[in-house]
Amino acid sequence: MKKFILAASVLVAVYSCKKAEGTAKENTTEATSEAPKSNNKIVTLNGGITEIVAALGHEKEIVATDVTSTYPASLKATAKDLGHMRSMTIEPIMAVNPTLILASDKDINPELMGKIKSSGIKTEVFKQEYTVDGTKKLIEQVAKAIGNTDYQKLNDKIDADLKQVQPIAKKPKVLFIYARGNMLMVSGKNTPMASLITLAGGENAVTDFEDFKPLTPEAVVKANPDVLFFFETGLQGAGGNEGALKMPGVSQTNAGKNKKIIAMDGGLVSGFGPRLGEAAVGLNKLLIESTK
Amino acid sequence: MKAQSKLYFYLITSAVLLVIIAVLSLQTGVYDFGEKSPFMALWQLIKGDSGLSLSDKYVIWDVRAARIIMAILIGSMLAVSGTSLQGLFKNPLATGDLIGLTSGATLLAAIAIVLGGHFKEYLPEAVQFSLVGIAAFIGSFLSMMLVYRISTSGGKTNVVMMLLTGVAITAIGFSITGFLIYISKDEQLRDLTFWNLGSLAAATWTKNIILAVVMIIAYIVLLPKGKALNAMMLGEKDAHHLGINVERLKKEIIIIVALMVGSCVAFSGTIGFVGLIVPYILRLLFKSNYAFILPLSAVCGSILLLTADTFSRSIVAPSELPIGILTALMGGPIFIAILVKFKKSL
Repeated sequence: MKKFILAASVLVAVYSCKKAEGTAKENTTEATSEAPKSNNKIVTLNGGITEIVAALGHEKEIVATDVTSTYPASLKATAKDLGHMRSMTIEPIMAVNPTLILASDKDINPELMGKIKSSGIKTEVFKQEYTVDGTKKLIEQVAKAIGNTDYQKLNDKIDADLKQVQPIAKKPKVLFIYARGNMLMVSGKNTPMASLITLAGGENAVTDFEDFKPLTPEAVVKANPDVLFFFETGLQGAGGNEGALKMPGVSQTNAGKNKKIIAMDGGLVSGFGPRLGEAAVGLNKLLIESTK
Repeated sequence: MKAQSKLYFYLITSAVLLVIIAVLSLQTGVYDFGEKSPFMALWQLIKGDSGLSLSDKYVIWDVRAARIIMAILIGSMLAVSGTSLQGLFKNPLATGDLIGLTSGATLLAAIAIVLGGHFKEYLPEAVQFSLVGIAAFIGSFLSMMLVYRISTSGGKTNVVMMLLTGVAITAIGFSITGFLIYISKDEQLRDLTFWNLGSLAAATWTKNIILAVVMIIAYIVLLPKGKALNAMMLGEKDAHHLGINVERLKKEIIIIVALMVGSCVAFSGTIGFVGLIVPYILRLLFKSNYAFILPLSAVCGSILLLTADTFSRSIVAPSELPIGILTALMGGPIFIAILVKFKKSL
């Protein structure tokens, strides 16, 4: 019986700590947030969508985002981070009292979706296509959802940026490696990364499967990429350039032999939002440098 | 008669404790109810007060209350299934997860989830749930039959055989789930991993009603079996002489435990060790008297899982820790303690 009493008292203690923490947080938000444009309180659950909302001038209306929403960095101070889409639960979303939830159909797990639907909060789930047209369509849809008609400038900027992409005579084969802890995945056909690599004048090194698959030495050797492409955080986690060169199979490839490893900001390259053109130009420059 | 009133005393005390923890759990969470306490919000809801906002109503009823009830139902069923198995196998190490039932249920539930996805949307909600539930039941039932057949001969259960069969079933389950992980997409992969560690985040009232029905049917059959299980400790022959229909008792326990473990896994994923921890603590307090520990484990299992779940959703808020991590953390040391204590008899 003692154990039960102990457990109960620990629970009381945890509860009171949480309560105190909650009040402290409320005070800080009051001090930093400015008056939003409208009364919208938006929760964005996708990095690209977050960027679109912010680029349309509604950044102050965003009250909470998911972990992939890293841009603009100023959001960190004003919006609550709800963590990763896959481990997110409904109560923290309800806690920010949103009037609108914006999400992509690819990220959200069905159980959370069910909970969001039954909560009665207005929710827009967008179909995300990782192409230039798909991105423009997404911008238009998000703009409409938040009641903003001034979105054409964002689409024009993507076009203007993409014009700066220089053609590369001999298209380099690029292998994107998604490194997260011990888990290494490579991007196959029909992935955002494959699409961006093509936009930037390269060629996706993997052509025999779709989506992301675990990295195997044989597959790497077979793909024989000219360049290895990482998220900056992923490359750091994998032990930098040296770590990447030691990955199984890499030393047998052109990229490994010539030590061609590039990395870009994960939010920029995988967002497929208003900065799509910027991302393509950035990758294009890196590819040109690495093929010299 | 004296023993009976002692049992009622402990049952009522632990039920009161469970209610206190449920109230505390109801108060715990990141959502802010403003002026009123969450308990007030619930009271307003019960009274049918129109002043309660839709969000308040949703969080208190569909999120927190649903989850608390699910923790109570699942905790209770996992503990009772552990206690019953330990009585049946006459061994403190027999629990659904250690002898492979959970793994078998997980495997078939995972298959139903992956393959059922093709036609799931055409089915009504209740049938969708029972599809995975039925698969999980079949998985745990088949594992149970396998364990029982392999480890029992001449009415005696060989514990080492029982645990090794559990290891084998778990290995097979793990490898096929591993294959599912391999062919799954990145986001499905995260779901599978998360689901393998168990979570009560997807609690709904529909699921709770199904679980409650399973629990009521199971307990009507199982809870009065305490004395029979006590007699079983003397050995099957002696139990038979005492007027116990041993074969029928075994069948009933096997089917009902498989049903309980299967439906728990189907709705919450794998939550291990609850069936080990609760009977262990109760046995320390009341010895192996199943007339006592069987009904008590029904309440204490709820206490344990509700406490663990409240922690799991408040430690790393706004995110949450998979509850299986917490129960395994508690269960691991107890598993070792039992092994050390029964070192000679294994």
